[in-house]
Amino acid sequence: MQESTFSIQMNGKEYRVEPGQTILDVAQTQDYFVPSVCYHPNLGSIQTCDTCFVNVNGQLVRACTTKAEPGMKVDTLSKPIQDAQYEAMSRILKNHELYCTVCDNNNGNCVVHNTVEHMELEHQAYDFTPKPYPPDTSHPFYRYEPDQCILCGRCVEACQDLQVNETLRIDWTREVPRVIWDDDVPIDQSSCVSCGHCVTVCPCNALMEKSMLGEAGYLTNIPPKVLEPMIDLTKEVEPGYREIFAISEVEASMRKSRIKKTKTVCTYCGVGCSFEVWTKDRHILKIEPQAEAPVNGISTCVKGKWGWDFINSEERITKPLIRKGEEFIEATWDEALDLIASKFKDMKEKNGPDSLAYIASSKCSNEENFVFQKFSRAVMGSNNVDNCSRYCQSPATTGLMRTVGYGGDSGTMKDIEKSELIIIVGANPAESHPVLATRIKRSHKLYGQKLIVAEIRKHELAERADLYLHPKPSTDLVWLSAVTKYILDQGWEDKEFLQNRVNDVEAYKQSLEKFTLEYAEEITGLTKDELIRTAEMIHEAKSACVLWAMGITQHIGGSDNSTAISNLLLVTGNYGRPGTGAYPLRGHNNVQGACDYGTMPAWFPGYEPVQDQQVRERYEKAWGVSLSVEPGMNNHQMVEGIHDGKIKAMYLFGEDMGIVDSNSNHVHAAFDKLEFFVVQEVFFSKTAQFADVILPAAPSLEKDGTFTNTERRIQRFHKVFEPLGDCKPDWQIFQELANRLGANWNYQHPSEIMDEAASLATIFAGVSYDRLEGWDSQVWPVQKDGTDTPLLYEEKFAFPDGKARLYSVDWTPPYEAGEEFDLHLNNGRILEHFHEGNLTYRSEGLTHKVPHPWLDISEELAKERGLEDGALVRLTSPYGEVKVRVMVTDRVIGNELYLTMNSSEDHEAVNRLTSSYHDTITHTPNYKEMGVKMEVLEPTGEPPLPKVNHRFGNRVPQISVKVEEKWKRSDFTPIQDLFEVKEDYYGESDSAN
Amino acid sequence: MAKAIRQINKSVPTEEELQLQAISDIMKAIGENRDAIVTSLDILKNLQDLGVLQAVQGLLEQRVDVATIALKQINQPAMHNTIKNAFNAIKFLGTVKPEQLQLILQGLGQGLERTSENNQQQEHQSLWKMSKSLRDPDVKASLSTALEFLQGMGEVFNNEGKTLH
Repeated sequence: MQESTFSIQMNGKEYRVEPGQTILDVAQTQDYFVPSVCYHPNLGSIQTCDTCFVNVNGQLVRACTTKAEPGMKVDTLSKPIQDAQYEAMSRILKNHELYCTVCDNNNGNCVVHNTVEHMELEHQAYDFTPKPYPPDTSHPFYRYEPDQCILCGRCVEACQDLQVNETLRIDWTREVPRVIWDDDVPIDQSSCVSCGHCVTVCPCNALMEKSMLGEAGYLTNIPPKVLEPMIDLTKEVEPGYREIFAISEVEASMRKSRIKKTKTVCTYCGVGCSFEVWTKDRHILKIEPQAEAPVNGISTCVKGKWGWDFINSEERITKPLIRKGEEFIEATWDEALDLIASKFKDMKEKNGPDSLAYIASSKCSNEENFVFQKFSRAVMGSNNVDNCSRYCQSPATTGLMRTVGYGGDSGTMKDIEKSELIIIVGANPAESHPVLATRIKRSHKLYGQKLIVAEIRKHELAERADLYLHPKPSTDLVWLSAVTKYILDQGWEDKEFLQNRVNDVEAYKQSLEKFTLEYAEEITGLTKDELIRTAEMIHEAKSACVLWAMGITQHIGGSDNSTAISNLLLVTGNYGRPGTGAYPLRGHNNVQGACDYGTMPAWFPGYEPVQDQQVRERYEKAWGVSLSVEPGMNNHQMVEGIHDGKIKAMYLFGEDMGIVDSNSNHVHAAFDKLEFFVVQEVFFSKTAQFADVILPAAPSLEKDGTFTNTERRIQRFHKVFEPLGDCKPDWQIFQELANRLGANWNYQHPSEIMDEAASLATIFAGVSYDRLEGWDSQVWPVQKDGTDTPLLYEEKFAFPDGKARLYSVDWTPPYEAGEEFDLHLNNGRILEHFHEGNLTYRSEGLTHKVPHPWLDISEELAKERGLEDGALVRLTSPYGEVKVRVMVTDRVIGNELYLTMNSSEDHEAVNRLTSSYHDTITHTPNYKEMGVKMEVLEPTGEPPLPKVNHRFGNRVPQISVKVEEKWKRSDFTPIQDLFEVKEDYYGESDSAN
Repeated sequence: MAKAIRQINKSVPTEEELQLQAISDIMKAIGENRDAIVTSLDILKNLQDLGVLQAVQGLLEQRVDVATIALKQINQPAMHNTIKNAFNAIKFLGTVKPEQLQLILQGLGQGLERTSENNQQQEHQSLWKMSKSLRDPDVKASLSTALEFLQGMGEVFNNEGKTLH
């Protein structure tokens, strides 16, 4: 299929060209400068700026849209071309005042500035004309200044077709066009989800982060009274732009000495966006994503772009704290660590090593998880170590390990992007994995990707879906199995794939006997037509991916649900090819990595069983100790162990277990019973309130390390700030404690920990910091030579015989709370806050957008109970009660409720209601199976969701910026009409290039 | 048996402690930079004696007002011309070859000298004497240079307005 390269002539020279390259691509690879103000590699051609006109075979054409063809003759340098480009740039400068030296965007990366400079423009043909609109500063995080806006439409393209939130447009119909939000409302009141795409792609200072204004430059904080006459004066006397630019260049390079740019990896979900953090001392100027970032390019969500204020919060714990009576007293590190060491030692000697338990953090680095499990296993002698994947994704891991071998996504975002069919079950990516959702929305909007969403709440992707399924809660396994059976019955299965690559096919087929369409209809409430349509869409698609999350896993049958998904993919041959596979969407930045690097009771790093003698001996040899043979307790068993008196002490870091574990009353009662409890945290969390010693940890911005995202991609993050106060990186704390217990560790840097992990765990053999420089990343398994594996199972599945296994499962009916608990309670995250909001409530802007949790209730239920927005209700389950205010919405129907989890207040937290029932295999709590009753406390009240929230906005979908409307304007003359070019005319070449 | 508690006894440093800490930090820095500080104090003393420091203090305190007034003064047509002319003059000087300029300036100097001598004598030359002096090689050299100069200047005048932009 690969077409061969061909050659074209550019400025009189021959160049080899790849098929599909545009003239602009070719010019850029050959270092010919062609201005291209509106073009952005992540957005493509927008065709508004008109600066990239070149002469191709005697025609004036846009370099950004014209594909190179064999034998083409291109001229980018001659006088008529320069004149045409000058005309286009002058039109841009009519809309943009060049006051670069006093502009906060003068940081060496301003596209307009750099283009003017590169074109060696001395003057502009048309005077700058301000627009008749004031700046819009209503939004808490960014502002729009129409006077500086060049109307290139990058922001619109990013909003409409990359983020696909469909908020921004350019209104070409008014006399002076401008960018508008929704139907021209203030930004803060629009459907804007504050993802920051528009600000990031703005080629000048029209859209700016408020955190930059008056902060970035040396001269940008001048009061307007002085600044305006200064600009006037400069314009009046300027001899030409070259001299002015010389000054702004000097100023820009002076900024480099005080603005620090550090690459980091976002910690707000499992997608793994990476970006630069721009800082001045401890002030965050902005988050600056780069096109090179392997997962997200220039994409971010509201939390990643703006949610970092917590780093300087006054509320951070900055000193070790020791409980004395009814209060915590500040202590030195020596006091705190000596106390912990002596307690741990005594308790281990008195009650045995397994009387202590260790809870790791999916928010902390791979290296920290590695060192923590080493601490638990090698220093303390126990496998009682687990992490919070137990609360979310362990069932998915189980489902995949049963069927295909590796507990991770089978491909990357690239596969999700290019798949013909995406099926999302029990997940809300637009809010919980926003940047991943943008790729689906883009492919669906622009490239004909099909979308099936099965979900009890009609969230954004459900609204966009080609087929939306609303099964009864907790019945997904039934419809998944019925669809699989129907596909087999129709003979639509991938016979060759099953024959060559899958075991246990016949036994599995037999296990499906009961899953007839009729049975599925009865159990799930879906119609036969819906089930058949689902099967047909899967059959018709050449490639399909299934994405799922907590809606599948947090059930009594969570592991079986996940298994059913993988079975369906195997039957249809949707593994091991680009655009296919299973994608359990990891909820925290390092859920994948915490499991990968061994903070699990039964697994060493790299999923090698602790019971395997060979594996154990490898670790025993490396660490010089003998290790426990028996798998340890998981989180759930630890809580029960405390109640039973088996566990006496616990060491927990970076996990607010007191909020996030289900049935929190039961968990709190367990914490009460602990004889000794150490909590290592950034903030004084709910869990920390139960501690005997609290250790102040440093968050990701204050340390070095790596995270592994949902794609299995290992990415490096770098220290932005020194730790605040006496805070320390978690790995250092573990090391200091371990050495007090005789470990004699000497890690100087996290890279040394990674080297040790890579030397021990086979799947990470070739992982090293040298290969993770800059934007480089590695997707495990990584061979010794550094070859990584973005797409799994192309050749074989991860079992000894290389074949996948169809694994028969049956449906487990959900927990029933009892008849009096007549409403079904669903719950989960929202876009604006991370989890319970411990970090994100420290941001004034995020709190402005969402100040409280709320309860979604259906219109029918509101009518029946006489409720409206803002009513206060009490929800009671057999396990506890909460009091929250309601929002009436069509996102939920009938007796189904949705309680958002953004609260750490006892009386609002959803886990006051949930039970201790759990997935039978992994002990993941059944958070999504609860019945409640509702009492009305106040029928009216202040709505919990303010009017400035994007959920009240009105999206205005369109494709791109509608440049055709610009071209139709009476005041627009096409550049092509003004300048004449001839074939074979290359003029005098410009030696400056 | 540990109940959840929210009370943290933070040893918040008192105002005095903070001040003591600050003073000790400053003393340390002074000790480490003894020579630089002594020299700076000398300079400061002289500036104080001259009254410069008070003037700067006044300027800084009223910086916005001062800048506004200054800019108002500068933002006048005459001042615009001055600045533009200054830019142009500097640009012009950049284009001239130093040897040429040196020669012309030397000539100018000597010419002025002769002029002033002539003026002192209060003697005006007759037409006859003037036309005779055209044969003087010095006068000839000077006149032909002047003609070349006029021609060059004329070229620029005639080209003005023909430029594209």
